[in-house]
Amino acid sequence: MKRIAFNLMAWTIVLITAFPLIWMVITSVKPQFELFRIPPTFWPEQITFEHYARLLWETPFLLFMRNSLILSFSTTILVVAVATLGAHSLVRFRYRGRERLAQLVLFTYLLPSVVLILPLYLMMVWLGVANSLLSLVIAYTSFALPYALWLLRSFMQGIPDDLEAAALVDGATRMEAFFDVILPQALPGIISTSLFTFILSWNEYLYALVLVNTDDARPLTTGVMSMLVSSFNIEWSLLMAASVMMSVPLIIIFAFLQKFLTRGFGAGGVKG
Amino acid sequence: MSLGKGASASGNPLDRRDAMLGVMLIAPSVLIFCAVIVYPLVSAIYLSLFNIFTPTLQGNFVGLDNYAELFAGQEFWRSLFNTLVWTVCTLFLQVVLGVAAALMLHQAIVFRALARSLILFPYFVSTVVAVLVWRWLFNDLYGILNHLMLWSGLLQMPLDWLGSMPNAMISIVLVGAWKYFPFVVIAILARLQTIPDHLYEAATIDGAGAWGRFMDVTLPQLKDVLMVVILLRAIWDFKEFDLIYLMTGGGPLIATQTLPLMVYKEAFGLDAMGRATAVAVAMMLVMLVFMVLYLRKMGREQAR
Repeated sequence: MKRIAFNLMAWTIVLITAFPLIWMVITSVKPQFELFRIPPTFWPEQITFEHYARLLWETPFLLFMRNSLILSFSTTILVVAVATLGAHSLVRFRYRGRERLAQLVLFTYLLPSVVLILPLYLMMVWLGVANSLLSLVIAYTSFALPYALWLLRSFMQGIPDDLEAAALVDGATRMEAFFDVILPQALPGIISTSLFTFILSWNEYLYALVLVNTDDARPLTTGVMSMLVSSFNIEWSLLMAASVMMSVPLIIIFAFLQKFLTRGFGAGGVKG
Repeated sequence: MSLGKGASASGNPLDRRDAMLGVMLIAPSVLIFCAVIVYPLVSAIYLSLFNIFTPTLQGNFVGLDNYAELFAGQEFWRSLFNTLVWTVCTLFLQVVLGVAAALMLHQAIVFRALARSLILFPYFVSTVVAVLVWRWLFNDLYGILNHLMLWSGLLQMPLDWLGSMPNAMISIVLVGAWKYFPFVVIAILARLQTIPDHLYEAATIDGAGAWGRFMDVTLPQLKDVLMVVILLRAIWDFKEFDLIYLMTGGGPLIATQTLPLMVYKEAFGLDAMGRATAVAVAMMLVMLVFMVLYLRKMGREQAR
């Protein structure tokens, strides 16, 4: 009896927490006229996908989606490649300034974007790449690289030294040992880091707002918001459909790769 | 950068070559760091000494005038105050809800994996999505929230959630709590799983009830991780831009304008790029307190 009561309570709380997102999905399949019914209907009386169709064919949504995909993949590949080498160096090599560098990484990981953004904006104008996806990739490294370095460093600290030492005794060079021994061991960590970096880039808003003001280079975050601002009367069902579509990559990651997410979380500076 | 301590200590030429390789591996990271973090940071401090008109990016040197103007006016202090109110309130809710939800999810409930996913999802969803959904919920005419509260008798009149005070501040604090409490849940949940069972058994034998066990066993065990989580979240909440900007835009007037929003407004609303960087630098100085605390805490943990 007590069990059942506890379960009921727990699931009520879970459903209340998830309600906004459930409501988002429900709203996105309701016909426009049903939204303005008083009292509102909970379950849609009739399910429609017209908002999704309109979103895809009548708005620049697909363009924003393409931009977001290019942007997030480029940032992730660049940052994870650079950070894997860097983290390996921070963990397995000895040179002066190494500890300072590790501290600097943590410091920059906490730095507010608003401090960096104005000089970065000037830099992009000066370089002549303002208003392009390239400028966003460059800007995104400023938060993604410290994050990836820090996360990968924690992961790589967990790989025992003996493994590399054994390979070296067998006559491998440091780089061979890195590719043959360390990389396979670090792979789960690299996957976690890639997922987090991807999500961070996918969700980023401020840099995109400041650095880009043309639809050609706008990612989903600022793109969808510009649809809200530009529309005369706000079409909530269209916006909810856009929100659902924007969350699809996250849902995929969540459904299939959740173990990498929780693992990455444990390593990311919140070790108890 | 030169040879490391390890290399000079052993004097092994192989080690020396290794140190070189190590430096080469970290070099790309360091280069990018210098270009997108160190240079902009120094540049921000430098720019804050100028009076710059944003559209033309032309300006002249004014020394510390930007700061003097800032500290003499009311808007900076009001924004700092708003930032503190927002940070303290939303952080408090995040921690309370986060710990409670973690304790709940630590118990055996049906479909626990699904329950965890549903609780964690708000943290991973884009702020843009979160804000759109909540603005729809808060909608004064057709929003479900007003409707439910009218229907249940909690309200007599529909409430203007975002356009008036103190509702606007309460609304962003609530949405912030909803969006970020899963971070606390994950961290606490991970820690709960490592508390040894025998501590609870001992407490039960000593006659402690559920509440007693929580106070005497769980809470002391969670102390360290809670400190880290609170510091991290304090830093992140303090610098939050997206959520507040998209929910209220700082309004009504400047009632929910926090420091990051003020930076944006000065730079692109009022075209005063120099003054904007001055606000940003001042904000960073306030944050430095938390950042140093966190770095020291992490430094101690690494040493352990």
